[in-house]
Amino acid sequence: MTAAPVNDTTPAIAPQPVKERRSQRLPWVVRRNSLPHLVMVVVGLAIVGAVVVWGGGLGQFDQGQLTRVAIYAIAIVGLNIVTGYAGLVSVGHSAFFGLGAYTTGVLVVRYGWQAEYTIPVALVLCFVVGLIVGLPAIRIRGLYLAMVTLAFGVAFPEVVNRFEDLTGGAQGLTIRLRTLRPPDWSGFTLAERGQWLYWTAVVLLLVIMLVVHNIVRSRYGLALVATRDNELAAAASGVNVAMVKTMSFGVSGAITGVGGCLFAIYLASLVAHDSFTLLNAVALLIGLVIGGQATRSGPIVGALAVVYIPYYTSDIGQGQAAAVLFGVVLIAIVFIAPEGVIGGLGRLVRRVLVVIPAVPKPFNKKD
Amino acid sequence: MGIFLDRLFAGATAGSLYVLIALALVVVFRSSSTINFAQGEFALFTSYLAWWCTTKGVPLIAALAVAIVAGFGMGVATERLLIRPVRRRSETAVLIVALGLFTALNGADGWIWGPDDKVFPHLLPNGVNDYIAIGGGRLHYDSIGIIALMIIVVFGLTMLFKHTSLGLRMRAVATNPESAALSGVRVGFVLSVSWGISSALGAFAGVLAVPALPPNQLNLASFFPILIFASAAALLGGLDSVKGAVIGGLSVGIGLSMINGYATFLGGELQLTLAFVIIVLVLVVKPTGIFGARRIERV
Amino acid sequence: MTALLGVRGLRAGYGSAAVLHGIDLEVAPGEVVVVLGANGAGKTTLLRAISGLIPHTGEITVDGRLCRDATPDAMLRLGVSLVPQGRGTLTDLSVQDNLRVGATTRRDSKDIDTWYSVFPVLGQRRDQLAGTLSGGEQQMLAIARAMMARPRLLLCDEISLGLAPVIVQGLFDVLRGLNTEDGTALLLVEQNAELALDIAARVYLLEVGTVAAGGPAGEFSDNDAVRRAYLGY
Repeated sequence: MTAAPVNDTTPAIAPQPVKERRSQRLPWVVRRNSLPHLVMVVVGLAIVGAVVVWGGGLGQFDQGQLTRVAIYAIAIVGLNIVTGYAGLVSVGHSAFFGLGAYTTGVLVVRYGWQAEYTIPVALVLCFVVGLIVGLPAIRIRGLYLAMVTLAFGVAFPEVVNRFEDLTGGAQGLTIRLRTLRPPDWSGFTLAERGQWLYWTAVVLLLVIMLVVHNIVRSRYGLALVATRDNELAAAASGVNVAMVKTMSFGVSGAITGVGGCLFAIYLASLVAHDSFTLLNAVALLIGLVIGGQATRSGPIVGALAVVYIPYYTSDIGQGQAAAVLFGVVLIAIVFIAPEGVIGGLGRLVRRVLVVIPAVPKPFNKKD
Repeated sequence: MGIFLDRLFAGATAGSLYVLIALALVVVFRSSSTINFAQGEFALFTSYLAWWCTTKGVPLIAALAVAIVAGFGMGVATERLLIRPVRRRSETAVLIVALGLFTALNGADGWIWGPDDKVFPHLLPNGVNDYIAIGGGRLHYDSIGIIALMIIVVFGLTMLFKHTSLGLRMRAVATNPESAALSGVRVGFVLSVSWGISSALGAFAGVLAVPALPPNQLNLASFFPILIFASAAALLGGLDSVKGAVIGGLSVGIGLSMINGYATFLGGELQLTLAFVIIVLVLVVKPTGIFGARRIERV
Repeated sequence: MTALLGVRGLRAGYGSAAVLHGIDLEVAPGEVVVVLGANGAGKTTLLRAISGLIPHTGEITVDGRLCRDATPDAMLRLGVSLVPQGRGTLTDLSVQDNLRVGATTRRDSKDIDTWYSVFPVLGQRRDQLAGTLSGGEQQMLAIARAMMARPRLLLCDEISLGLAPVIVQGLFDVLRGLNTEDGTALLLVEQNAELALDIAARVYLLEVGTVAAGGPAGEFSDNDAVRRAYLGY
């Protein structure tokens, strides 16, 4: 930072000599985009890359679990936008997840589409439905809005059953594996379907996280957070609160819907009153809260919990132990660590390491 | 005519059950301005408890008493231990705690009693021939019983609110907790008791509702739809009004029964979707519902 | 003689924001004390802390006995009642019900008729919702509600705020009567310093959370500096 010119007429205030104490050497302050920061970013990316590649070489079952983690992470990233960043608790995101899944299922089974190409359709459809569900958010918030989303989530399986011709109704919709052949250009064979889905899910997750990262840092992201923290102040500062809230539902629904598409390809069998009920909506919320609301990597931690906790507890309590554990953990987090795992970790890390913004480029009128 | 009356009676029966759960929501909302999203799961737990008692040879009426007492205890404990510590922090915290309870209770029911359907005994006679014929329609005895019990509960609650000291204190806390505290009302006690009454009411309604509403059996998903219908009813009536809950509950029950019967193009399967539409319409058009408090304040 | 209310080293605030930084103050039985101070000096916080609405550190004693972590209803049982700022009536309840709630600690509503004779307009509107009353009527109701517990010390937070002078005069006449006839001690926080000094025996001056000065009311009305600062003439 260039020093501001000192006005000689003001009485000079002697700068306080900064006492160097050992304990003050922590946290270690790093400037964004400086060399140490770039090194850390590169190391971080390398670790992520290594984990992804390691997952690619796993056996079928373990890889399948990781695929599910990626799928749930995408869904939770979506939920994070509306509930984490915009502060509007949605108890009905299972419906977006299901809508995405059924879009893929119906297009593949009834219309013979290549599964991967259904994703953009689901994206648009869930975006539009998200906008519609988000409309009440213009007038209501808090518990009332949660009630609307809850009803949306509960009603979804019923709507699926109503359109039995398309969706298979209560019998469910089975996608024949043959129709889920990876596209020819991918180089994967039908037998390597699991591999292909793993890479698709992981790449989509990373792309979506990058997009969300940029949204959150944009003016729109700022408007989201401002609306969450103080709606009146945000509106007074020129934020179109109604637009921001509705849009956040649209974007959120679209992303969760993409997770649903992959879920349909992964499971190849859809039963609405099984996979897309209220308990699933709550599971997504639990993942978000455990990982940390309004954190960027929280959804991955949350997805790990959502996939692996039921897996490791499936032998206990007639398979119901996971639900009890989820409920207890959810309440415990509200009491002990409201910022979730990533939020809590972030606070610990900040004691040791702080990243401060890059040096702003000097503003020069002549340029 | 006969079919119309059949549908009217069936709607009024279901509606009466929605009224009872809606009242449970109203009692909590009046005292602590929050919606208990776990209300349905509270009732599910106490229903399982009552069912379990009957399998041990306890008469159903005694099992009902056990459920009500357990419900009251759950409500008090929840308010005191889980809701009160986070109330001041934020609405979202209360909501998430309620959702945690929702999941944990649902899981606990499955853990203790197993996820398979349970045949629930009937408190009221419901044989094929247990009905009175009115104008070609059949008014079943259990419908009469449910409607009568609903009326008794509504009367009792009205008495409680209007004519008892506890009711007065509950209304005072609902209006302004701080002024109530300054008048010597123990706000915490009143809140706990409100949650207790609410959950006891839910327990009572649960034992009546399980055999009377489809699928007429007890399973882990039994109370998802009931909560939604009751919420629609409570919102329609204004969330803080006993009268509103009654009108709302009966409207939702009878309305859905009629739409189900006559608007066949909807396929008769979209009841929850209709409830969802009601909830959205009420909240967007008139968030205070039909009988919600008009807050007239002059400064 | 033991003070009815004793406050020593009182600190209180909201969250991490401290408002009171060690207040010392006393009210003798039957005494009228007024607390003056600019906006933000901590007058309202002082009354809220004394009545048990917000947590505090330091000592609050009633009849010389320490009240630690006292809740509002405990303070009320000890004889300390607050008329909060902005009326604090129960707006969705009728006038009659407001007064019945006021009698919670005594379980005796006989005084209601007494208050209807003090404020006849309340009697005429006994079945009306408190929220529909005018500002002056609500303030009357707030005082009557606070007095239903028969406190020995009535704390009043800016009774005159936003009311017409003639109504304020009437309210102060009632307060004066409470003091002279029933011996109720009063601790008044007031913007209207002139009226307050008129009925007060002693004065405390609050400045940013501390007591800047204190003494008999007479000295304060005669003191030029105080008069300019708080009385405006």
